[in-house]
Amino acid sequence: MPGSDPPGHPGRTIVFAFIVRRVIAAVLMLVIVSVATFAIFFLIPRALGQTPEGMAARYVGRDATPEAIQGAVRRLHLDDPLIVQYGRFAQGIVMGQDYSLGPRKAECPAPCFGFSFNNNQPVWPTLLDRLPATVSLAIGASVIWVVGGVSIGVISALRRGTALDRAAMTVALAGVSLPIYFTGLVSLALFAYTLGIFPGGGSYTPFTENPVMWFQSLVLPWITLAFLYAATYARLTRAGMLETMGEDYIRTARAKGLKERTVVTKHALRATLTPILTIFGLDLGLLLGGAVLTESTFSIPGIGKLVIDAIRGNDLPVVLGVTMFAAFFIVLANFIVDVLYAVVDPRVRLS
Amino acid sequence: MRKTNALALAALGTALTMGLAACGGTAGGGNTGSGGGTGAASGAKHNDAYTKVVNPSDAKGGTLKFALSDEPDSMDPGNTYYAWNWNFSRLYARPLMTYAAQPGEAGLKLVPDLAEGPGVASEDGLTWTYKLKKGIKYDDGTEVKAADVKYAIARSNFTDELTDGPKYFAQYLDAEGYKGPYKDKNLDNFKAVETPDDYTVVFKLKEPFAEFDFLVANPQSAPVPQAKDTGLDYEKTVASTGPYKIETHEVGKQFVLVKNENWDPSTDTTRKQLPDRIEVQFKQNAEDIDKRLMAGQIHVDLAGTGVQTAARGQIVGNPQLKDSTDNPYTPFNRYAMLSTKVAPFDNIDCRKAVQYAVDKVATQLPWGGPLGGDIATTAMTPTTVGYKQFDLYPNGADKKGDLAKAKEHLAACGQPNGFETNIAVRGDRTKEVQVAEALQASLDRVGIKASIKKYPSGDWSSQYAGKPDFVHQNKLGIMIAGWGSDWPSGFGFLSQIVDGRFIKASGNYNMMELDDKTINELLDKGIQTTDPAARNEIWAQVDQKVMESAAFLPFVYEKTLIFRPASLTNVYVHPAYGMYDYTWLGVKQ
Amino acid sequence: MEAQPEAVVQGAGGKAIEGRSLGQIAWTRLKRDKAAIAGAVVVVLLTLIAIFAERPFGGLIALFGDSPNTPNNDLLDPLTSVPLADWGGISLEHPLGVEPVNGRDILARILSGAQISLLVAFLATLVSVAIGSLLGVVAGFFGGWVDMLISRLMDIFLAFPLLLFAIAIVGAVPDQALGLKGNALRIAVIVFIIGFFNWPYIARIVRGQTLSLREREFVDAARSLGASRRHIIFREMFPNLVAPILVYSTLLIPTNILFEAALSFLGVGVAEPQASWGGMLTRAVDYYQLAPHFMLVPGLAIFITVMAFNLLGDGLRDALDPRAR
Repeated sequence: MPGSDPPGHPGRTIVFAFIVRRVIAAVLMLVIVSVATFAIFFLIPRALGQTPEGMAARYVGRDATPEAIQGAVRRLHLDDPLIVQYGRFAQGIVMGQDYSLGPRKAECPAPCFGFSFNNNQPVWPTLLDRLPATVSLAIGASVIWVVGGVSIGVISALRRGTALDRAAMTVALAGVSLPIYFTGLVSLALFAYTLGIFPGGGSYTPFTENPVMWFQSLVLPWITLAFLYAATYARLTRAGMLETMGEDYIRTARAKGLKERTVVTKHALRATLTPILTIFGLDLGLLLGGAVLTESTFSIPGIGKLVIDAIRGNDLPVVLGVTMFAAFFIVLANFIVDVLYAVVDPRVRLS
Repeated sequence: MRKTNALALAALGTALTMGLAACGGTAGGGNTGSGGGTGAASGAKHNDAYTKVVNPSDAKGGTLKFALSDEPDSMDPGNTYYAWNWNFSRLYARPLMTYAAQPGEAGLKLVPDLAEGPGVASEDGLTWTYKLKKGIKYDDGTEVKAADVKYAIARSNFTDELTDGPKYFAQYLDAEGYKGPYKDKNLDNFKAVETPDDYTVVFKLKEPFAEFDFLVANPQSAPVPQAKDTGLDYEKTVASTGPYKIETHEVGKQFVLVKNENWDPSTDTTRKQLPDRIEVQFKQNAEDIDKRLMAGQIHVDLAGTGVQTAARGQIVGNPQLKDSTDNPYTPFNRYAMLSTKVAPFDNIDCRKAVQYAVDKVATQLPWGGPLGGDIATTAMTPTTVGYKQFDLYPNGADKKGDLAKAKEHLAACGQPNGFETNIAVRGDRTKEVQVAEALQASLDRVGIKASIKKYPSGDWSSQYAGKPDFVHQNKLGIMIAGWGSDWPSGFGFLSQIVDGRFIKASGNYNMMELDDKTINELLDKGIQTTDPAARNEIWAQVDQKVMESAAFLPFVYEKTLIFRPASLTNVYVHPAYGMYDYTWLGVKQ
Repeated sequence: MEAQPEAVVQGAGGKAIEGRSLGQIAWTRLKRDKAAIAGAVVVVLLTLIAIFAERPFGGLIALFGDSPNTPNNDLLDPLTSVPLADWGGISLEHPLGVEPVNGRDILARILSGAQISLLVAFLATLVSVAIGSLLGVVAGFFGGWVDMLISRLMDIFLAFPLLLFAIAIVGAVPDQALGLKGNALRIAVIVFIIGFFNWPYIARIVRGQTLSLREREFVDAARSLGASRRHIIFREMFPNLVAPILVYSTLLIPTNILFEAALSFLGVGVAEPQASWGGMLTRAVDYYQLAPHFMLVPGLAIFITVMAFNLLGDGLRDALDPRAR
């Protein structure tokens, strides 16, 4: 924590060794996640009695003849042993793979997450294509919730016990108690369809196409999503502020005759924000992997919508791809937070 | 069926006018062009486009905009089973035969498209010969050859890759042992289709099939040059024979067509070429599509399956909006099948008890009430050729069930106090689940206690209701289903679902396991009867027999409420597709 | 995935709790906390409602007349499928109105759905607490490679996109397995998944507590007296862990209620016609413009329940650890 930092600089080699260790751990984690994901989507159905033909039948037309089903089994390699299927999947990510389109083959360079079972498009470009919508949603909402949540938390802490504090904390508690698909629907019904202030569901427009419409279409999702998080952050900030304000060094600072404003901003707030930044990193990582419920409610064509559609359409390669992608962001966020912590607080490194 | 909007073609039967009268539409006039006479949509009434062309106009130019809430299985005419795509793909792909461009019954007549005339069957009915029109070109200016039609049939029916479309040619053609053009590059080894010269295509069948012209009206007969085929990727670069060609196709996002200068209108009797550009956006929010339709920002909801509940509420309450809509039949019958192999439904009286006990008003509600479908009493739909109206199990004047009759049959079945059974339903189909719930509640009134079993629709046919072993083991007495045929005849509609010889160990659509010798023989007799009138009479007899078994419990003949913006010209409901004729539409500038 | 299921726990889990014994002081503090008492009252009421919703003799639902699965098609407009009367068909017979499409009584369905929400949330919390406390204590007590292994395991679990997995697994469950079938099986699977993936939150807290307890005098004393590990864990440390476990269980319940509702909302919860709050919301999506009452009622039911548990949980935590105030 700032304020209690011991003097001295960490050796570069120690930092480097630490980072290497964490990178290895992160990669290992991704491998484990990929195995587990693969097992859940391919092994569990098999264990529950699903046959390769049964799986293939989902990807052919409605009057599937046995020959057509066999064709799909062969094309999608569903009859291979699971370990071979996993090997192919892992190999694709690292080295890329080829895929038969019929008269010729399509190349899928690394990282290749395979091809959609439903529309035969490579998964990776689809993911990248959906990323801007998710990033727009996550970044915009996070700006609102960090600014809003932290300010409310600080004000509440400083006005502790007043009616303002109690009102803010009640609203914050309500915020964490409301499901987003409910607040989303209510806000759509109210602001989009009754009052007509904002466009309704499904109106997302890419920034590059029309920045104004991009902004308009995202205002409601931003606010709805931010409300949920702001509530959490306000509660955290308030608790953190109250704790640090009770610490000795704050009393010392006050005793030195520093202005209250300086005490709050320079000392208390800074100490409070460090753990909040950690949580922020993790939350943002989670959201970048797809805000499933928000994107579904507002029909935003992001990663979360993609994966829900893929699960409903049994599009296993897309589901696998998104899960890996989401896990990647979570692991990355963890990694960054760990490293930042280690740089800020050398004790972490040594333990 | 895997896809709700999977293709079916419909024919307008005798009930068409009845249906129209019920909806307050004007029946009559089936003439294209002359019937409309109204320049502005404001003059058009509800259901007008059902019987005549609304906003007739020859004005060219503009961009015609479609939106779809889903994404297609494929835009490749040889690899699609979506109803709207058999309509839409005609903009860039010409099959051998197609349906006449007319509203009403006239639109069900097949007319030659790529072919010079209808197919000529041999004496034994085992070969069908088509002559191609000369001088038809692809968008790159090269001429269409008979071999391209042969190749199109081979790739769409005999490869592991193109599995989304139907496989009728694989089923009926005599092509034993053929490996398909991707494994066997030599097309000469595909002996079931012969091309004696560049303008003649000869199909060789296993058995006589009198409705073969219907099969080649399927987009799979549209020619594909072998050198241009890129398999699964071909949907991005289809070689066009129609009035439009592909400019761009971003799979799952958008599809843009521009005019094909090499299309010769003199060879084409069914299409127009009015807009400069046609744009389709995929994966749009369904409610947003309705809003944009009503605001005139887009012109057509491509799926043709009708507006969502919110928009319907708006339309019902607003006569002006209602005049901008049509309410046609879709090719679908929504029904339940009672398993003749699951006790106590192996007893016909227990099946009859269900027929009488069901509250058909309650089972109509989930589809959207009268606007979502008419209460059904037969297996065939009113828009199938051969349909005759009859009701073997009249269940009360208000259609809410004849409980006394139901109890009589329960007693005759030896179950006077009712019994327990299961209703199987596709769990992810909300409307079907709601139908199951309504059925459950109505059966409860006579002591039949039904539990609802939900299964995923993806495996519905391969693992659950379509797998007789599973049905028997899990005592699935009642299964909620729906069916629309691939061509508008009794055979197209009925054969898959009532023929006892089509009961399969998996992927079975005759879920009631009805194996009635009379029915099977009638179907065989019908498909070999070349006289259409005699043939259609046979289909009506089959329907009668099926209903006599009491295993088929029809709920509604499905209808949709589709919206036509005022800016759309040349609008009429094509009876073969149950939606607007997408090759006729133009836009006001 | 939104952090909603996580957010509550994270919000609360920021700091460790000193293992002070429960007692008169905490109770006095709790009694003074009006919000917590209000929460507690609602929680007790809801629990009673859930227990007596359908039993004995048809329970509360029977008192109000209509069963949760009885359709009332006469009350609906056949053209739009929404209730004919204003305000969603609210009347004496149907105090909260009726559902579009089939006219089922909303109050009866809310009461019936309360059973599912609370049952799943309680059981799933039990599973998390059982796994989390055990692994937390083991990690904290033994330290070293055991601690490292369990901590890594927690990291891995936290790196899973939980909601996606839950949807996939519940979706893959057949109709019959493990001697259970239908909704009993689905509830078992949902409980298992929610519980199994949420244990790291409890484990993290218990581990922290155990670490600090390990260094305390009374544990040292027991150890120097030659007490067995089992004795130290169960007799000396466990009683001191009860309080934090109780607090965080109370805070985990609302998270789990939201989780169950999210699964039902996404269509992989309990099967219709059994009512569930999330499932009611899914059906309301199509009608939220035509029949907004059908969306508001289950939404508010979820909100009130979750809020009550959060108030109680906050109060309990504050009572046991005044520093957090």
